[in-house]
Amino acid sequence: MRGRRVAVKSCLPRSGASWVGGGVAVEDQPDVSAVLSAYNQQGDPTLYEEYYSGLKHFIECSLDCHRAELSQLFYPLFVHMYLELVYNQHESEAKSFFERFHGDQECYYQDDLRVLSSLTKKEHMKGNETMLDFRTSKFVLRISRDSYQLLKRHLQEKQNNQIWNIVQEHLYIDIFDGMPRSKQQIDAMVGSLAGEAKREANKAKVFFGLLKEPEFDVPLDDEDEEGENEEGKPKKKKPKKDSGGSKSKKQDPNAPPQNRIPLPELKDSDKLDKVMNMKEAARRVRLGPECLPSICFYTFLNAYQGLTAVDITDDSSMIVGGFADSTVRVWSVTPKKLRSVKTAADLSLIDKESDDVLERIMDEKTASELKILYGHSGPVYGTSFSPDRNYLLSCSEDGTVRLWSLQTFTCLVGYKGHNYPVWDTQFSPYGYYFVSGGHDRVARLWATDHYQPLRIFAGHLADVTCTRFHPNSNYIATGSADRTVRLWDVLNGNCVRIFTGHKGPIHSLAFSPNGRFLATGATDGRVLLWDIGHGLMVGELKGHTDTVYALRFSRDGEILASGSMDNTVRLWDAVKAFEDLETDDFTTATGHINLPENSQDLLLGTYMTKSTPVVHLHFTRRNLLLAAGAYSSQ
Amino acid sequence: MTGSGLSEEAEAMEPAKMASPKSAPKDAQVMAQILKDMGITEYEPRVINQMLEFTYRYVTTILEDAKIYSSHAKKSNVDADDVRLAIQCRTDQSFTSPPPRDFLLDIARQKNQTPLPLIKPYSGPRLPPDRYCLTAPNYRLKSLQKKVSSSAGRITVPRLSVGAVSSRPSTPTLATPTTPTVQNVLINPSLIGPKNILITTNMVSSQNPPNDSNPLKRKHEDDDDYDNL
Repeated sequence: MRGRRVAVKSCLPRSGASWVGGGVAVEDQPDVSAVLSAYNQQGDPTLYEEYYSGLKHFIECSLDCHRAELSQLFYPLFVHMYLELVYNQHESEAKSFFERFHGDQECYYQDDLRVLSSLTKKEHMKGNETMLDFRTSKFVLRISRDSYQLLKRHLQEKQNNQIWNIVQEHLYIDIFDGMPRSKQQIDAMVGSLAGEAKREANKAKVFFGLLKEPEFDVPLDDEDEEGENEEGKPKKKKPKKDSGGSKSKKQDPNAPPQNRIPLPELKDSDKLDKVMNMKEAARRVRLGPECLPSICFYTFLNAYQGLTAVDITDDSSMIVGGFADSTVRVWSVTPKKLRSVKTAADLSLIDKESDDVLERIMDEKTASELKILYGHSGPVYGTSFSPDRNYLLSCSEDGTVRLWSLQTFTCLVGYKGHNYPVWDTQFSPYGYYFVSGGHDRVARLWATDHYQPLRIFAGHLADVTCTRFHPNSNYIATGSADRTVRLWDVLNGNCVRIFTGHKGPIHSLAFSPNGRFLATGATDGRVLLWDIGHGLMVGELKGHTDTVYALRFSRDGEILASGSMDNTVRLWDAVKAFEDLETDDFTTATGHINLPENSQDLLLGTYMTKSTPVVHLHFTRRNLLLAAGAYSSQ
Repeated sequence: MTGSGLSEEAEAMEPAKMASPKSAPKDAQVMAQILKDMGITEYEPRVINQMLEFTYRYVTTILEDAKIYSSHAKKSNVDADDVRLAIQCRTDQSFTSPPPRDFLLDIARQKNQTPLPLIKPYSGPRLPPDRYCLTAPNYRLKSLQKKVSSSAGRITVPRLSVGAVSSRPSTPTLATPTTPTVQNVLINPSLIGPKNILITTNMVSSQNPPNDSNPLKRKHEDDDDYDNL
């Protein structure tokens, strides 16, 4: 279809009227055009500067209410025109075009412009996958209908409609009916490498509810009660049925069916763990603005900027650090030491029928607080404990993800698939599955018993820097260096949500415990809050001055804690941030809601460390906040 | 790795002239300017030297390759096309870039079509087939302190030799051994670096087990080698 349009253009006289027939609605752009656009000379290269400055003049003279929206055109047009010039090897025109207009762009695009300034020849583009993807994908702009009409009328009036040609080529304009957005609203949501997200991209149904927990009795536990009971009298208690979470027998309409994806069955040890979890939950501190959590900070000394990843088990018994010298170190946080299973020779000597066989198989002689795991051949960028504390995952710059056993403290499997550095990995909340994301711009879903990935989530334009499972294990959120956050469906690998708004690579993601909301943190220091069901940004938390590397919701979702490179931990009121959201059908149709400027109201506290960037945050089962970081002396 | 900065530098490098002793040589100044243009403001001074070394090596390799290509094409001089070809060949060889997006989307579509496999219940640790696991290693890390019998009480200086760059200094707080005669000094491992470092694959030990007749067989340390039981 694109080829046909070019033929029409060449035989008709150049007049404004020629585009009436060819002016298809911008929403129906065929994707095939991308392939042929490389070979289509978009008019005379020497006139590009004129085209651009003509458009600039028009936009600057337009009405205030439309100017903010139309100004969104500057950046994508600038980049596409520049890349067009470079790709067609008009170097000097490209250089003067860049010199003249790069200063006009928004400040949050400065990093991209710096990369662009180094791309001066066609050969440079070939190695840069991100720029190639940018060239072939359509930059999405969301403009209100009025502003769009204004733009279209202007570009079709003039004799010279090369700009219109380029707009149709490289931009996708998602028109919405509503008030034109203000600069502030636009600034909150732009910034990603591919523009904003089309509304259809966020329309798929997402099952954000939680899976039902199995019901079972909390057993009578006299020993435990006696320990706590100072009088020493055993109390008689009836066994309580677990009613937490499954108040009604009806299925939550927003929760996925139990068997939507296969999940491992609960073993006896898992059931015991759940019982412990419930007991701890009963003693949990209820947090809120009046009752802030205590924060316990684990500082890694003498790490010399080598600490690259930290994880803490769910019951807060072990902490693992991944280091730039390729080691993985596991510490026991409780007085109980780390023991590994005895060697095969010793195991054959023990009495297998004895009651405490599980204790006898552990080797007391080599028990220690610290175990070091060697195996990777590059810095370890991500670590994750399995929920049953039997396994540990670590991913590294050497392109592999390694599975370690915490019973024997040896490496079990190396999963090779990414051939490039893997930036993050995480176990699923139910174990068995894990996700990894790396420099090759994809995230992969693995199962521990398959040596190849089960799912490949491709779509990001740049490295995948952060990967997290949803609490119901049916969805995976990935944050990327292309400044978008995508939500993927584990069942079929589809991208169900695209969230834009950050101005830098995303380094932290946290799902709220009820599964409805997602918090993201990036190098721009902002924490953004997203409603997964509606696919909207519902909050913006400003305050940090440097990259936010750690985000965690408290156990019942009342407090959001964020830790950053600016050496602070901040606590935010999550309950207040999510209440009273205007998310009815009318507002969601436009794709954005009005964000209140309430960062200051939501901030409950700022806690500074002496000189330690915060790399990890973890709420214990009783809502004590643990934080971890490496002391850096500068 | 963009070649742009390097090509700029290649143009800027003129025939060598003596730099005044007080200022940095022109190459270094150019490199510092490149770093500044790419937005890198904080770096150790040795980074410039490392970058320059890389530049020289890269440019030399490219020019040598270009000379070969031009002589193969029976040209008298090396021209830009030869250099371009040399750069392209080297790029494909050493600086690989991740696969392009359409390829990734294609394999993703293929992979994502197969349904998720069902999980067999009660199957113990869920690991891939043995040949994809690392559960059968043919080496073992060994402690160095086995031979301390003659020098009891000496604290061995730990050495790290398994691929790890120890930027992290071991901070021994000189944990003196509990008794001077203890052979296996139990030093708190969290304070000192690891003591088990040496790989014993081909080590010919001084106490050769006498029953080891096959000379090709790997010689193991005999002390607690479980194979010999």
